[in-house]
Amino acid sequence: MPVKERTSRNLLAPYSRVPLLGWFCGALIAVTLERFAGIPIALALGLPKIPVLFGLDIMLKKPALVPNAILYVFLVYGLPMGVTTRSSISLTNRLADWLIRFPIAITVAVHLALLYTTLHLWAGISDYRALVLKLTLIAVMLTLSLNVINGYMGEFSCSHPGFMALGAYCASVFTVGLFVDDRFFGAVFLPPALGPFLFPIALILGGFLASFGALFVAIPSFRTRGDYLAIISLAFLFIVKSMIENLEFVRGPRGLSGQPDWADLPTVFLWTVLCVWSINNFVRSTIGKALNAVRDNEMAASAMTVDTRRTKIVAFLFAAFWAGVAGGLFAHVLRYVNPSTFSIQNLAEVLAMVYFGGLNSVYGSIVGAVSISLLGEALRPLEIFKWIIIPLLLILVMIFRPTGLIAFKDLDVTSLLRPKQNPGGEV
Amino acid sequence: MAIFFQNLVNALQWGSFYALIALGYSMVYSILMLFNFAHGDIFMVGAYIGFGVSTGLLALSSSGALAMPNWLILVLTILFSMFLTSFVGMLVERVGYRPLRNAPRASAAITGLMIGIILETGNLVLMGARRVSFPSLIETTVYNVGGVFVTNKKIMIVLVSLLLTFALHQFVRRTKWGMAMRAMAFDFAVVPLMGVPVNSMIALTFAIGSALAAAAGILFGVAYPVLDPYMGILFGWKAFVAAILGGRGSILGATLAGFLLGFTEIFVAMIFPSTLRDLIAYSIILLILTFRPHGFFGEPYSARLRL
Amino acid sequence: MPILRVHNMSHDFGGLRAVQDYALEIEMGQIRGLIGPNGAGKTTIFNLLTGIYTPTEGEILLDGKRINGLPAHQIASMGISRTFQNLLLWRHMTVLEHVKMGHYSRIRYGLFGAFFGTTKRHKEEAEIEEKAYTLLDMMGIRHLSDQVVLNLPYGAQRRVEMARALATQPRILLLDEPTAGMNPEELGQIMEIIRRVHDELGLAILLIEHRLKVVMELCERIQTLNFGEVIAEGTPEAIQNDPGVIDAYLGKESVF
Repeated sequence: MPVKERTSRNLLAPYSRVPLLGWFCGALIAVTLERFAGIPIALALGLPKIPVLFGLDIMLKKPALVPNAILYVFLVYGLPMGVTTRSSISLTNRLADWLIRFPIAITVAVHLALLYTTLHLWAGISDYRALVLKLTLIAVMLTLSLNVINGYMGEFSCSHPGFMALGAYCASVFTVGLFVDDRFFGAVFLPPALGPFLFPIALILGGFLASFGALFVAIPSFRTRGDYLAIISLAFLFIVKSMIENLEFVRGPRGLSGQPDWADLPTVFLWTVLCVWSINNFVRSTIGKALNAVRDNEMAASAMTVDTRRTKIVAFLFAAFWAGVAGGLFAHVLRYVNPSTFSIQNLAEVLAMVYFGGLNSVYGSIVGAVSISLLGEALRPLEIFKWIIIPLLLILVMIFRPTGLIAFKDLDVTSLLRPKQNPGGEV
Repeated sequence: MAIFFQNLVNALQWGSFYALIALGYSMVYSILMLFNFAHGDIFMVGAYIGFGVSTGLLALSSSGALAMPNWLILVLTILFSMFLTSFVGMLVERVGYRPLRNAPRASAAITGLMIGIILETGNLVLMGARRVSFPSLIETTVYNVGGVFVTNKKIMIVLVSLLLTFALHQFVRRTKWGMAMRAMAFDFAVVPLMGVPVNSMIALTFAIGSALAAAAGILFGVAYPVLDPYMGILFGWKAFVAAILGGRGSILGATLAGFLLGFTEIFVAMIFPSTLRDLIAYSIILLILTFRPHGFFGEPYSARLRL
Repeated sequence: MPILRVHNMSHDFGGLRAVQDYALEIEMGQIRGLIGPNGAGKTTIFNLLTGIYTPTEGEILLDGKRINGLPAHQIASMGISRTFQNLLLWRHMTVLEHVKMGHYSRIRYGLFGAFFGTTKRHKEEAEIEEKAYTLLDMMGIRHLSDQVVLNLPYGAQRRVEMARALATQPRILLLDEPTAGMNPEELGQIMEIIRRVHDELGLAILLIEHRLKVVMELCERIQTLNFGEVIAEGTPEAIQNDPGVIDAYLGKESVF
């Protein structure tokens, strides 16, 4: 084996033995470093401030600073993570091994706590980061819920922005009407302190409204499939958008603003976790696999006792619920919502995330949502060219991996959290 | 009553655009079982190419090098733009769809969507954010027919659309290429065994569909001169609805459905406040689809692999 | 006591009468054959029995209960299961997933368990998996359980189909040309499997087959269908010598 190859292989091989716990710890250390030493490091490297999006923002705005930005990313993220994960392999594996003996809920909770702390610290640097993170988490919810319909059940549904809109408006009317001012229900009659506790109710109501709307797409799907369902869902989208534009009650095309600031990072994070968890549970169960059976051969599914109508309704309503919740969160993150957001462009974006990441796969949706969201943000300085690069990227993926980057791969939580190496040092 | 006929004329015009665009969708779908989501944007590209061609011809004419009456310029614009846009369509097919010939159709549909976005963005990059105005090539004369005011433009648009639709119909029915297309729509797999060059036929299908969309674009530019890069989105998706409503691969169906959609939108706007137009029009469409799920002339859906 | 009784079943497709006056009585543990030239209507009869079509006329009684007109999935959960001539497998799913799916109608943990991963659900899923493995063992394909069916050889796919059909715990199994496309070795194996399924599970089996050797060896009674009508019914020997049957298949030549 040539020396160069051998060296790189030797260099990277140990990283395959790092458990997820190790990666999370490494990331936590990196963001802690940035939190406390980020500014001095940035200034020392000749950067005007901490690069907010892994240096990509600075690289695109001031190409002269590209090497400085790269150096920053290396020093603050790359090196700490690389060194700490590698040097602590046996420690983190032992820890992971110990943790996994607990009930899985505890193991998951610990990992999530680590992840959340990392995200919290990372976002603490700037409001922009917090916003990007929240929007990315919402994108994960949208992508995953659309994947349930388009990937797991194999339909081509164009109605997701409509579900999102229903959820966004419903939740907004609830919070604004009950807590902010008197434009909907008369005098505000609930104490504002109660607000954040009732926020989940607002989101759930939004989800239910979206589910109700989904009936208009699910029921026609009994008789038609494929392309005909596509236009039914498209008609649904046009109808919802038009309906909202005509509702003076919610100020029509001018949009609704004044949502209370309850969609903070912990809230959005928790809802995202809930969404991923419940959808993953669902698709791994036999009831959830029925979606695949209906997709791959509906007649055979019927013959094997699967109630195809019930399956379709459950899939649509469940997916729509999460799209509605995501919409509600979205409205409260931006604290403004108007119907033009829920347009064909929005549809194209969310479809892109699903197909890019991978159909029929929780991993795929997370990867797709995070990649396209972050890429979209990172390329913002390029303005309009962003909308040439991202579509091109997607076309390339479609040509070489038509079902997406990580399609058909099950997320098994237990094996994800398992140590990658036995305490004795074997893999 | 006069209002009714007034709107009838408007509806015919509006429906012409949908019909011409829907034809392109329908043709591609009948052969490849694929909806070309970039098609609406090809309509937009055709309009802009028409803008370029007509502006160029006008300049040429007024500089004295080649004086032409305006109506001739319009005819040449239509023909030349149709020709040029057909290449755009063929390029889209070659680059975006041919590599995905054996891929799941949803993936090809997404590719089309992305190509559409690239076309829109490309337009913005090339032309900038300012809107362009299609040059006025026809003097508007208004005819008063028993209280109904009809402009010559509207008549021309409807006539040209019907003419093109008729031409397409003859092409498909009477030429050997048309026969090949019908054969491919019927049973794609067998056709190459008969010695038909499938790739060329597909390219031809895209070419014709794009040319028709270009014609629609120019006619649209004549009626509503202000163009914008996103004009293709709404038209494209609505024409897509019309194409399916008309039934898979049916030229007659696509045309009828296009006009029906136009009629529905115009008459709904006549009766109800115009902001409710989309809401009611699409509710009607949804109802039609619930009772006739396969469109007017479509065949019953048969199990087909989607992933 | 016949588990399945069919009286006067006829079915039209538009103006075409595809099945005319079909009748059947089958009891638990019996193996019946259904033969006939292509296009005779055999698969149509299966489709009628399993609820894919609702018969234009006639009655189908399962355990004395009328099932014609019920939705297919309900008929399947009441105890009739089938395999398909063209192997309608679920191309993206694994072998194990195929076999687990048959338990769909018996699932008790419901949507709550599906969304929230309750203990009840985990227990039940484990049970379903156990039962699935048992069936895979019976079919001899346990080692393939995590394979996506798309990648499997034809013989293995046939076994997956059968395992899947058995997972619904049927009392009657309809096999539509189970040996289609098989070589002599695979043929012997499948016949062995059918015999084993019959002996161990005590099901009633109705078999559509073109290979007369299979039908003769496995079936107690055989119906011969031609142009939608039963033209002969009886023991294998009787059918073998029935002039009407011979005529239907090959004109005046003997096919045996």
